Amino acid sequence: MAEWNAFYQNEEADEEQEEGEESAVNYKVTGRDSLVFLVDASKEMFIKGEDGEPSNFDITMQCVRSVYTSKIISSHRDLVALVFYGTEKSKNPRNSFKHVYVYHDLDEPGAKRVQDVEALRGERGARLAADTMGSGEVSLGDALWCCSNLYSDIKLRLSHKRLMIFTCMDQPHGGDSTKDRQARTKAGDLKETGVVIDLMHLMKPGGFDVSLFFCDIVSPPEDESELGLQVEPCGKLDDLQKRVQAKQQKKRAMARLHTVIGMNVAVGVYANAVTARKPSAIRLYRETNEPVHSKTRTFHTQTGSLLLPSETRKVYGNRQIVMEKDEVDTIKKFYDPEIFLIGFKPMEKLKLHHHIRPSVLLYPEEQQVTGSSCVFAALLKKCTEKKVFAVCRYTPRRNYPPRFVALVPQREEVDESNVQVTPPGFNAIFLPFADDIRKLDTPQFPTASDVQVDKMKEIITKMRFKYRSDAFENPVIQQHYRNLEALALDMLAPESIEDFIMPKVEQIDRRLGPLVDEFKELVYPASYNPDSKPAAKRKTADAGGGDEKKPKVEIPEAELRAHIKNGTLGKLTVPVLKEACKQFGIRTTGTKKQELMDALIAQMAK
Amino acid sequence: GKREKMARAAKSALVLCMDVGFSMSNSPPGEEPPFDQAKKVIQKFVQRQVFSESKDEMALVLFGTDATKNPLDQDGQYQHITVRRQLMAPDFELLEEIENHVRPESQQTDWLDALVVSMDLLQKGKYDRLNIVLLTDLSTQVSSDNLDVIIGNLGKLGITLQFFFPFPMEEEEHNEEGGGGDGDGDRRGSSRPGVGKGLSREQKQGLEMVRDIMLSLDEDEGLDQVYTFSEAIEQLFMFKHIERRPMAWPCQLTIGSSLSIRIVGYKAVTDEKLKKMWITVDAQTSKRDDVKRETVYCLDDDNETEVQKDDTIQGFRYGSDIVPFSKVDQEQMKYKHDGKCFAVLGFTKHDSIHRHLFMGSQTIKMFAPKDDEHAGVALSALIQALDKLNMVAIVRYAYDRRCNPQVGAAFPCIKQTYECLVYVQLPFMEDLRQFSFPSLENKKFTPSESQLAAVDSLIDSMMLVEEDENGQKEDMYKVHEIPNPAFQRLFQCLHHRAVNPGTPLPTMEQWLKDALERPSAISERCQAPLEEMKRKFPLKAVEKKKELKTGAQIFEPDAKKSKVDEEEEEFNLAKISEGNVTSVRARGLCQQLTHRIEQLLSNRSTHYYMKCITCIQTFREQSVKLGNADLYNSYLQSLKKSIPNSGLQVFWDLLVQGMISLFIGEEKKEVETEPAVDDAGDVDDLVSVCLNSSALKYLMFVS
Repeated sequence: MAEWNAFYQNEEADEEQEEGEESAVNYKVTGRDSLVFLVDASKEMFIKGEDGEPSNFDITMQCVRSVYTSKIISSHRDLVALVFYGTEKSKNPRNSFKHVYVYHDLDEPGAKRVQDVEALRGERGARLAADTMGSGEVSLGDALWCCSNLYSDIKLRLSHKRLMIFTCMDQPHGGDSTKDRQARTKAGDLKETGVVIDLMHLMKPGGFDVSLFFCDIVSPPEDESELGLQVEPCGKLDDLQKRVQAKQQKKRAMARLHTVIGMNVAVGVYANAVTARKPSAIRLYRETNEPVHSKTRTFHTQTGSLLLPSETRKVYGNRQIVMEKDEVDTIKKFYDPEIFLIGFKPMEKLKLHHHIRPSVLLYPEEQQVTGSSCVFAALLKKCTEKKVFAVCRYTPRRNYPPRFVALVPQREEVDESNVQVTPPGFNAIFLPFADDIRKLDTPQFPTASDVQVDKMKEIITKMRFKYRSDAFENPVIQQHYRNLEALALDMLAPESIEDFIMPKVEQIDRRLGPLVDEFKELVYPASYNPDSKPAAKRKTADAGGGDEKKPKVEIPEAELRAHIKNGTLGKLTVPVLKEACKQFGIRTTGTKKQELMDALIAQMAK
Repeated sequence: GKREKMARAAKSALVLCMDVGFSMSNSPPGEEPPFDQAKKVIQKFVQRQVFSESKDEMALVLFGTDATKNPLDQDGQYQHITVRRQLMAPDFELLEEIENHVRPESQQTDWLDALVVSMDLLQKGKYDRLNIVLLTDLSTQVSSDNLDVIIGNLGKLGITLQFFFPFPMEEEEHNEEGGGGDGDGDRRGSSRPGVGKGLSREQKQGLEMVRDIMLSLDEDEGLDQVYTFSEAIEQLFMFKHIERRPMAWPCQLTIGSSLSIRIVGYKAVTDEKLKKMWITVDAQTSKRDDVKRETVYCLDDDNETEVQKDDTIQGFRYGSDIVPFSKVDQEQMKYKHDGKCFAVLGFTKHDSIHRHLFMGSQTIKMFAPKDDEHAGVALSALIQALDKLNMVAIVRYAYDRRCNPQVGAAFPCIKQTYECLVYVQLPFMEDLRQFSFPSLENKKFTPSESQLAAVDSLIDSMMLVEEDENGQKEDMYKVHEIPNPAFQRLFQCLHHRAVNPGTPLPTMEQWLKDALERPSAISERCQAPLEEMKRKFPLKAVEKKKELKTGAQIFEPDAKKSKVDEEEEEFNLAKISEGNVTSVRARGLCQQLTHRIEQLLSNRSTHYYMKCITCIQTFREQSVKLGNADLYNSYLQSLKKSIPNSGLQVFWDLLVQGMISLFIGEEKKEVETEPAVDDAGDVDDLVSVCLNSSALKYLMFVS
């Protein structure tokens, strides 16, 4: 298998990209993704479940809201639309379709839209929906036609178009064959223009029979053997969200490697997880709040003329070792992009602590080389059976030094309702080089006695829980977006977040009860206090840290007056305005932004 | 606090003590003399230190030298030992000195004397670690007088000793994993060359003495610090041994409000990056100060009006909204936490943590503090209990107040000589990419029995871990023993350029090339199964279908075209277009030109961008000459449109920069005398194309 050799297409232009950011995908190149929610608004959707469970409409709105907010965080450039069908009233661009209500046309989701969807949730949401749209006749054909107009009205280049139908009616037209046919035709037209149609069918009494109508509407599955439809209809928000989430994220390969096992096998490389970060700030022009863009120019200090890259060279470190730019590239070049198989090792040889960066997933690219999937499937099966992983040398792109990876087989897993929870493929675990491993001086201690260990076992058993990788939200990012949301919507204070990674100390204490003291008695002598030393240290640090001092948000009077004069007071944030009110001794009962502004203007006019 | 600062300030000291005597230059024909190998070893030592800008100090002692230069030189004692360099931070001068002045000499010196001179050097100054590295072939008669005193002093001063010989100390003794200090005790491969046969009497006697010294310094692992020259050239672990230890992170592991255990964390594995960056300098003067980078802010209007940085404020995107959000407000409203923390959220089954969802770029090992036995026992109880229950702790980890908190798993880790917790970061919900892929359990892809059999035998033939005669598992390819080739290659090239300026870069060292290849034994064994695989699995590359030409794809690389000699073709095109050409021909030429530009652009490298700019400049000049600006303008128009989608912003910026001088330059007069060239209609086009204030001014003047 000389060469899991690769012919590699680099889709990203930026070759200078940091190695660590390898997993970040450059979306600029490929155009925008789009997603249309087409939601049934007929009466049946509003029927609440027994025991007061939320209606199908309600869980759909919750789901739409969560997609909106997650898009805002993870891919705000994507376009999203929300369209209702089976409504009483109509609202669409040319008002040419009856019973179709375009609630949001295709656009980037923003704060306002999140609020709009939020308003449609729950009891009150149902009333609002009844008032604004009502429920009426159903024509899925018209609805699909209207959606195709939404797509064609977009002037941007769309790379991925998806439409999701949410309904609990397996025969939306009650058996009207003309309407059924029209819907099928329109669905066909949409599919022809590259729109992928998914059905998110919801629970209904008597069960949802996909074969009655919808099997002809939805897009054929990527994989022909499978029906492409979730066999079971969705009853729970969790399930629905999972399904929508899985579908709405367009898979993007970070790299396509024509790997060769002495023969051509094509695989795509996908990120399993990418550290989500707070987005970087953008600069706005103070006067108008419009975004500005930056340009970086390189010029000669003496002559002031612009320097082209060919007129510069590279120097390393303090001592001037000069290299030409292309020499710097040559030094980084070892192999052409490829995955080169070294051999196999038993699974137990993969060490837990040998971790240097998040893994990636390999999946065959049958469209590039026919037969790839078969080789891949065979390797996957055999590696799983024999409990081995493959050691490979991995060169993801040109002028990129190699890393070694362990390819660990991962079999497909599906849940009760046949939704894929784990995709099939090889996880590529990055292996450390000698440089990455630090030498430690390991202290040696007596090991704990059985009694001590057993007591700890009791503690552990009391604190058992089922870990799920998607259970922890990042409080830093969530807080950031809550803050932005509050500012964008002129809310008084940001919605509070729940810090999921904070230990629930009280609950833990209650659960453990006397076990803690019993354990301490077994391991610590009476005089020993594990908190003493570091605690003392921490206190002094705290006192000197000055963290308690809040940064001053005071604004000079002159600046404030200038803002009032120019009518730009609104650009100041609520906390700044509040501080300004305090500063000038204004007592405000109101806390709304406008009220604060009015109070300030009134005060300054005195 | 204070303690950490002290730890950071402490330096270690190392004496490189190398035998350059007569016998070191002797070698059987065809083999590299020990001297050359030893010199490479010390060069590698020094290289690593210099390029990582280590503050640790180094001295160089040579013995077997013709001259004598050392502080102990008295009454005819300690002769032919030269202190080439006193303890100081290693620098390029040291590299140059080794390259040019360390050469074979003709004396023979007692290596024990050289060791004493080296020890003497280490007595000065304050260091947290003292190391001596001794490289010799042991060919000299040694006087064992005072050996006890020497050993006593080595121990008393806490000096770590490493020996390097051209031959292995003894027959390979098996070194099973788990014994080493960092948990990677399986560090030695089986590739020791040249078994210790045919050693001279002096050498055998020398080895005995080395064994005495090393075992009395460290009964258990002393002999681990004896290496061969070739090991030292190809592997890193001996360097690691003398390197400074990672910084301690003292904290408390807490379970609920009232159970805490004092712990200390150390980075055990981390994605190591180079410390230094490449800096851009002026090509002529090689001076950094001659190059200035400046960032300007522009409005998104047609003129790209520049605004001062002071006139800008900070904002963030919230979906389609842009929210002004000052640094001060951001600081005030951001998520805050209590700082340093290692708090258990709960415990969960080991197998519910997926290896492929490990996040971050490091693993941290948590121990009890060295002097705290009670913490040691408490932590041991936790580690043992987790291990027995096959569970892990899920913890909240925060390095300090400035760093964002993480969620992670603490795994129990039990080795022969120590126990610890291994901490790895786990993903947040926001980090996950929940893709679904078509099932491979598909009739179309299901491999046949014979196909599976082919894969089976391929895997068997390529197993890197095998049992030897003694039933011991032997791993013949340990990635964690390979030095990072990127560093090795860079150091090699930097070293070369530093000591041989003006000469081309060397090729990659053979040992490094070999280290990155499949072991030859495996390559041989897998030949036949591989052939079988090829027969059993038909594969066919899919012809690329003609896809719709979209903005992005215009610039897709096309493999067939790229082999033409660009320079020449470019020249020719310019030449052809110089003659008198009709407008019909101009159109054809224009097509050739734009085609050429697209080809060049597809290479996505600045080198080619510059060529493109020349092409476009030529295009413009020719258009001006021909009095036909339509083609040029519409081409530039479409090029501009495609920029955002093709990831060629860098190129466009360069082009815009390049065009400034073009417009203001000599062309001005030319166009003035030929006002017919740009008629009014074209001017608008051009203005929107060259979003550039100076171009705009000029063109308005023309019209």
